[in-house]
Amino acid sequence: MAQPPARPRRRELAREWMTAVYPTAYVPLSPVEIERFLLDLVDVIADAVQAEPFTAAPIAEVGQRLVRNHFTGPETLQRTVEVLGRALLFTPELSDVPSLPEKVVAILGALSTGFATAMRLDAFDRQEEVKAALLAAKQRAERVLEVSEARFREVFTTSAFGIVVTDLDGVCVEANEALGEMVGVPFTELPGRRLVDLFHPADADALATRYHPTGVRRGERFREQRRLLRDDGEPVWVHLAVSLLHDADGAPAFHVTMVEDVSELHLLQKNLDHQLLHDSLTGLSNRQRFGSRLEAMHRKSHRGITLYHLDLDAFSVVNIGMGHAVGDRLLREVGRRLEVVVAGERALVARVAGDEFAIVVDNGPATPRVPEMVERINHALAEPMDCGTALSASIGVVDRPGADWDVDELLRAATATLHRAKAHGKRQWLPYDRHEDRRSRAWLARAARMPGALADAELEVEYRPVADFGSGRVHGRVARLRWDELGHGDCVELAEANGWSLVLGQWALREAAAAAAGWSAGVLHFVLSPMQSRDEDLVGTVMRVLDETALPGTGLRIHLDTRAMLAAGGDNAQVLRDNGIPIGLAGFNGGQAELSLLDELAADVVLLAPAAVRRLADRPGSLPHRAIGELVRSVREFGAAVCVPDLDTPALADWWREVGVDGAFGAFAGPAVPGYEL
Amino acid sequence: MESGCGVVERTSWVPAGVDTGLPSAARLYDYLLGGGHNFAADRALAERFLLAQPNARAIARLNRAFLRRAVLHLIDRGVRQFLDLGSGIPTVGNVHEIARRSAPDARVVYVDFEDVAVAHSRLLLEDDPLATILQEDMTDPTAVLGAARGTGLLDFDRPIGLLMVGVFHFVPPEDDPAGVVAAYRDAVVPGSGLALSQFTSDLQPAEMAGIVEVMKRSMNPMYPRTHAEITDLFAGFDVVEPGVVPLPLWRPEEGAPDTDDPARAGIFAGVGLKK
Repeated sequence: MAQPPARPRRRELAREWMTAVYPTAYVPLSPVEIERFLLDLVDVIADAVQAEPFTAAPIAEVGQRLVRNHFTGPETLQRTVEVLGRALLFTPELSDVPSLPEKVVAILGALSTGFATAMRLDAFDRQEEVKAALLAAKQRAERVLEVSEARFREVFTTSAFGIVVTDLDGVCVEANEALGEMVGVPFTELPGRRLVDLFHPADADALATRYHPTGVRRGERFREQRRLLRDDGEPVWVHLAVSLLHDADGAPAFHVTMVEDVSELHLLQKNLDHQLLHDSLTGLSNRQRFGSRLEAMHRKSHRGITLYHLDLDAFSVVNIGMGHAVGDRLLREVGRRLEVVVAGERALVARVAGDEFAIVVDNGPATPRVPEMVERINHALAEPMDCGTALSASIGVVDRPGADWDVDELLRAATATLHRAKAHGKRQWLPYDRHEDRRSRAWLARAARMPGALADAELEVEYRPVADFGSGRVHGRVARLRWDELGHGDCVELAEANGWSLVLGQWALREAAAAAAGWSAGVLHFVLSPMQSRDEDLVGTVMRVLDETALPGTGLRIHLDTRAMLAAGGDNAQVLRDNGIPIGLAGFNGGQAELSLLDELAADVVLLAPAAVRRLADRPGSLPHRAIGELVRSVREFGAAVCVPDLDTPALADWWREVGVDGAFGAFAGPAVPGYEL
Repeated sequence: MESGCGVVERTSWVPAGVDTGLPSAARLYDYLLGGGHNFAADRALAERFLLAQPNARAIARLNRAFLRRAVLHLIDRGVRQFLDLGSGIPTVGNVHEIARRSAPDARVVYVDFEDVAVAHSRLLLEDDPLATILQEDMTDPTAVLGAARGTGLLDFDRPIGLLMVGVFHFVPPEDDPAGVVAAYRDAVVPGSGLALSQFTSDLQPAEMAGIVEVMKRSMNPMYPRTHAEITDLFAGFDVVEPGVVPLPLWRPEEGAPDTDDPARAGIFAGVGLKK
């Protein structure tokens, strides 16, 4: 038995083999790894050559292993056979193997057969893999297609949207049930019909151009709101979303139109718009819509507009007395009547606040002038309502304002004029007065500033001497408010207007009491504002102030507002008196009711109303002139002193002294001075 | 296509997206490597390719071998995850197989656009939790990177090996090749690698012109680049030794037979590490 070839020779062979096949096929191994792999095969082959008895059977596996490891290039087998054949036949170590050439042929034959078989199987495997891969890819694609087709079908058939596919001639190819329902035609009858014929004639032409294939670029959609025409002729508002589909070659092929029935939505939208712009109770325009319409009418008007701002007089009485349901009915009726009044005009009536209405009229050649229009309005309101009530309104009118007025200015002017009209009483109307308006604007601006001014100590209390005509001496001081150039009356009026009257009054009372407690200038007269006179906490406030300032009650004369006492009852005055504080009635005119009040309260003093004093001063010798003497005498006989405010000159003072009043204050008796000077 | 070569009977199992009558570069490469995942049209194209460049089989093999060496080199540099762009048909020596022999935890995301390549890769990787295939266009880095992140396989906070092996010659100049590479580069952390190889007209201008002419009639026309242009693609990377060189000269392995002539290797290759 021959010895196996020396190991170095086998390594040498493996290296030769590797060098021969390395360029023939890509094997993902390093050259060293390849050599090691081939060395294994060399061992199998060399062992087989020398085996007794000889069999080539193990060699088939060598061919298979080559293929399995990717030694599969077109020249790989040829080079393998060359290298192995030469090595096996001419290696000296194998020269004594019996029948060597036969064995080498058998071995190379077995290797080639194994290689070829493995290659065939490998090719089959690869083909199988390709098939499997392609099949998988195809199935995947089909599944996606099936799913998307199924999804599309599902959407198409069950959608609440109408869907219609049309060809480029605009003829329906397919339509779903939802669309059929929208147009009132069985959807199976839609294919074959022209899509535009389903639309309102007013929309059909416009749509026909939109559907042109060049009208929509690839991937683009257009959206429109149009009217379908139901089979019964009823229009249906719809949203359309139209896209153009292209065929595989990219040429336009079909339009797909999604149709959404928005008729209900449409109505709802209209309704919502209406609600946003109209008053829900009367159905008239609301303030917002009135503002924008007013602006438009003012801008476009040729002969100018006239704006009426109405406030129903005493409507709260109706509302509270007869209930809100009746009140609501009245408001609706007022709205209706106002619309009738301006029915022949280019005009708009709006409800702009609870019981406030506004009318704008664009004046035409036959439009009545303002007084006549106001007369018509009053006449319409004066007709008794179904509940028996008749209404009246105060009206502010802005007639033909300049073109430069903006809408806010117009509305403000009308409101301001209305407020002036209301101040004159019920059923009054006033035209806008620029001068008046300016004054009231400045005045209101001032009123708005008052709280800040009070905090910044811009307001002060000053004291006027009160002359006692009996003794001819000053017997006390009256507290007066001052705010820069504004005197007492203005300050009180402002405070009454802005609601600060109580605060201001309490502050002034405390200031004055503190000043009076420290002076020897006699009694402090303090005139309460109307609001302060009615204040339920008045007595508490006065007592606290006296307590804090240590001013004795007898050192104070509290003058309550006569009209406020008449309205609210005399409790405040009564209780003050009971607490030992002498009281007076200010703003006293001497009317029957006032005299009764005096009688009831047994006030210590009456302070005549400044307006009455002015009137008397203006018209000497008149009946009131004579009557005042009677009044003064009566009051004094009753036991109350009579005092006169705001006398500017010594002559006036003399006159009143003649009349017989007890005292007076005003410029004649000396200037007003701050507390610290006293 | 000439009739006769292009007429392939469409069998029912070929998916709609695959036109077996139109040769593709991926299947041509597969054929040149001795693979079986190709159609008659691909083989006909390969024959014309071989006429223009008789060394084409060797070039394919050398390119594939470069891929292997580059992957192993990056693994030596600590890279454990790979994004193989234009991975082609998985035949012999796929990246995940190579990588796992030395790094069993290596993760690979393959990206290709060709249907057969993708379908086959999908089958191959079906049960592999650490490797996957994305059907994306590698010249759209935003899409590729988005999809790659979506796989959850790659950790973009750790180095990634970007493989663009034998694929950039399909990217036309108007697709901004430098911008494409830069987009991938900017998505990975320093220490990441780029292995890139592509045909050049510097080595065998006549043969290369022939290839360009042949490939004009395929779905994948080719754009060879000069050595300088290819080197420029490595902007932002430190190119490792020996630089951008013909395939067989890039870090040849010990014991490799000296049978491949670099002058006929057709392709320049290089590896860079992100700075």
